[in-house]
Amino acid sequence: MDDATRQRLFGWSHAFDHPLVKGAVIAVSVALLFAPILFWTLTATNKLNPTLRKELWARYFSWLLLVPMMFVPILLGAAWTIAAVCIMSLLCYREFARATGIFRDSITSGVVVVGILAVYFAVADNWYAFFVALTPLTIAVIAATALIRDQPKGYIQRVALGVLAFLLFGVCYGHLGFFANDQNFRSLLVWLIINVELNDIFAYIIEKKMGHRKLAPNTSPNKTLAGSIGALVLTTTLTALTGHLVFRGSGLDRVHHLIILGLLMSATGQLGDLTLSSIKRDLGIKDWAATFPGHGGLLDRFNSMLFAAPAIFHYVGYYQGIGLDQWRRIFTGG
Amino acid sequence: MDPWEYKPARDLGMPLHKRLRSSERESGLLEKIGNRVWSAAIAAFLRWGEQLTVEGREHLPTKLPFVLTANHSSHLDVFVLASVLTADLRAHVFPLAAGDTFFTTPVLAALSAGFLNALPIWRKTGAGRHAIEELRDRLINEPCGFILFPEGTRTRTGKMGPFKAGMGMLVAGTSVPVIPCHVRGTFEAWPANAKTPKSGHPIHLRIGPAMSFAHVQNHRDGWHEAASTLEKAIELLSE
Repeated sequence: MDDATRQRLFGWSHAFDHPLVKGAVIAVSVALLFAPILFWTLTATNKLNPTLRKELWARYFSWLLLVPMMFVPILLGAAWTIAAVCIMSLLCYREFARATGIFRDSITSGVVVVGILAVYFAVADNWYAFFVALTPLTIAVIAATALIRDQPKGYIQRVALGVLAFLLFGVCYGHLGFFANDQNFRSLLVWLIINVELNDIFAYIIEKKMGHRKLAPNTSPNKTLAGSIGALVLTTTLTALTGHLVFRGSGLDRVHHLIILGLLMSATGQLGDLTLSSIKRDLGIKDWAATFPGHGGLLDRFNSMLFAAPAIFHYVGYYQGIGLDQWRRIFTGG
Repeated sequence: MDPWEYKPARDLGMPLHKRLRSSERESGLLEKIGNRVWSAAIAAFLRWGEQLTVEGREHLPTKLPFVLTANHSSHLDVFVLASVLTADLRAHVFPLAAGDTFFTTPVLAALSAGFLNALPIWRKTGAGRHAIEELRDRLINEPCGFILFPEGTRTRTGKMGPFKAGMGMLVAGTSVPVIPCHVRGTFEAWPANAKTPKSGHPIHLRIGPAMSFAHVQNHRDGWHEAASTLEKAIELLSE
């Protein structure tokens, strides 16, 4: 392992080198500091009804926990980032498994967990070929090991749930981890996370304030068309503006690329949210878990990242590559 | 093709501290691994440290549901009973433990749930009846297995105490097999007044044939009848 790789994986001395990272950390800290003042002011002027006030405070306290969970590993280094995304993937899978009931099938569940761990090993090793190969390999192992109990009844359901879980929480979230193999992983990830999370917040605020036409009333009754379009416009604008800082001097620092990245981030973010909402409605549950008051489970908070991470990864990867100049197969050699 | 059937975890949506203390708790992969490792270690201790001998293995259940019951002299009793079950069955078997002893703090609750796979029975909160009805429903419909000590507490004298009706509430009027067992030697190995177990005390487990309480009415008289019948069966095994 060379010094540059060691520095990328474990070095935190350059954590605030990029202006976007520095700016984002300051902005988020200020927002968390001033949010209570805003809540108190709105409460004093009777602009918050008790239900909304309670919900906002619950969400605020959850954000106090979520923000350090998202940003501290990124600031500490790529190894911490990959470890944190791996833990998030496993915890999200746990929520999915408990909600769908697949957790009762220890063999399938065990293979999915091993598959997810293998994905993050490939990510940490910066071994893209293995990362890609793990999709067909794990699917084959899930399908094969489901035969062990010799119980054809429910076979398709068991295998399908296992494969879906691995694709969502291993492969899709694995792309978020793979960003950490780029030299500029901090700015890329902070840009991606902030914009995807703000996309959710924009949609939430707009659907509370305007628009009555529902986007998908059977899937997500609270979402409105206005909220979706508003989030698309605001997120695209913000993503393009901040994207200029991230991709400055590269081939992606062009207006059309930045707008496409913004549209992609907002649309895939919303699709991830709707997909997981659809699964929840099918299961007849409201939240994936009760981990974060006001949010629900980890999956309720990070569902927007599911499709946004691979979509942005492959767009950026196609035009400029991710981690191509970095040491590859760090642990396995070759 | 049959329609897909989703069965979310019974404890879905419960915060962790409530989940660990709930009789609705369902173990995940991590808890199952923890339970399996712990069970293997305890089985090795019982076999080589305490020279456990077992009589009547042919009466052991091979499928769910069932209730394994015994006299209660020591914390070792639950491990003795669990150690004779196959690994596949053990994953679906829950020892029923006093909530006000084994689930008082979050750490204790995590250990009882994670290692013992125990479910709590709350004796002093007044919610006992409702909790037992939930457990009865789970026993029949999940299905699962329970390890239960009908005396309700460990003997302080070495002699078996009277059986409580709670055991009858679980099984009266059902065809769930109840397997009576008698454990000898655990009182000497780890009595209620000792903090740690002592090795070198031979332990003997005697397993009797399964009993059914399908003919017993599911009301107060029936519960007492079931408890009394089981008490006599275990007394016979002690001879």
